[in-house]
Amino acid sequence: MKRKTLTILCLMLVMAWLAGCATMEPPKKVPYRLSPQGTVIWEDELEFMPPPPDWKLLRVEVGENDINFGFMKSDAGGYPSVTSFAYDEEPFGSATKLEQREKEFFKRFLFNAILQFQILEKKKVQVVGGEGLAVTVEGKDPVKKEKVRAKVIFGKRGDRVVGFYITQWRPMDGTYDLSAFEIFDKFAASFKFLKKSFYETL
Amino acid sequence: MEGHQRNLYLYERFNARVLGVSRDDIITLKYFAKSLDLTFPLISNVTAFLGVSMDVQPEGQPIFGRRTVIIDKTGIIRYARQGSPDFKNILLFLKKLNQEGRLDPTTGGKP
Repeated sequence: MKRKTLTILCLMLVMAWLAGCATMEPPKKVPYRLSPQGTVIWEDELEFMPPPPDWKLLRVEVGENDINFGFMKSDAGGYPSVTSFAYDEEPFGSATKLEQREKEFFKRFLFNAILQFQILEKKKVQVVGGEGLAVTVEGKDPVKKEKVRAKVIFGKRGDRVVGFYITQWRPMDGTYDLSAFEIFDKFAASFKFLKKSFYETL
Repeated sequence: MEGHQRNLYLYERFNARVLGVSRDDIITLKYFAKSLDLTFPLISNVTAFLGVSMDVQPEGQPIFGRRTVIIDKTGIIRYARQGSPDFKNILLFLKKLNQEGRLDPTTGGKP
């Protein structure tokens, strides 16, 4: 009898402890939800196909009301082997024409890394329901003995240019994992705007 | 500054013009404007009187603090915010001002 009472008391304590946890830390509100089709709906504004679960969601707190998120995956091969990709509402530059914006963008892209860039491919693509421009580059840092392969896709949202980019860092003698670029392409190709942007409503 | 450049077409829509003011010399500003592809005017105010008048000149420092100021057609300061510009907030404010008619040169500042 004494043992039973002790067990009930222990259970009550555990329940009280769990209830305390529940009240102390309310569930965090996330800005996204999953649709029945498996796509992510971000703040009821964007819809896209997420990458596989081994990609970690990144959020950068740069400003209120800004859309700022991306995905990252650490790769085999040690530092600096990492791949990340993101959607960017305000890519570097200001031109509204894609070709002009591309020139402005690459003056600043990965500026801090001081890389020697080479354009590997530039082609017109379809993205976010219109014509876009996809540019694949490789940058090398002979001093740090690192390299990066990147692809940037410029598209239009209303009058403004938006961008998608992926960067994959490797040691100079490392091998790129091109399957990550295929995942990025699927992400960009699946991207939809569910409503007008702030700028389109002005 | 790049954010203002991106928004120039919207400022145009709301009858607003943008000016940048800095204590840097003209040569420095020319290079700065070129590096960011800026097409709006940057004013070099080496003697700092504009910064003093807008209360952005910290005592004994060679640079201005960051402040966004919106002046209406009649010369009245209608908006002043310290720090990095909140572009969406600025655009909403300009839209409101334009609807009031205060920035519309065709109405002479009258709604």
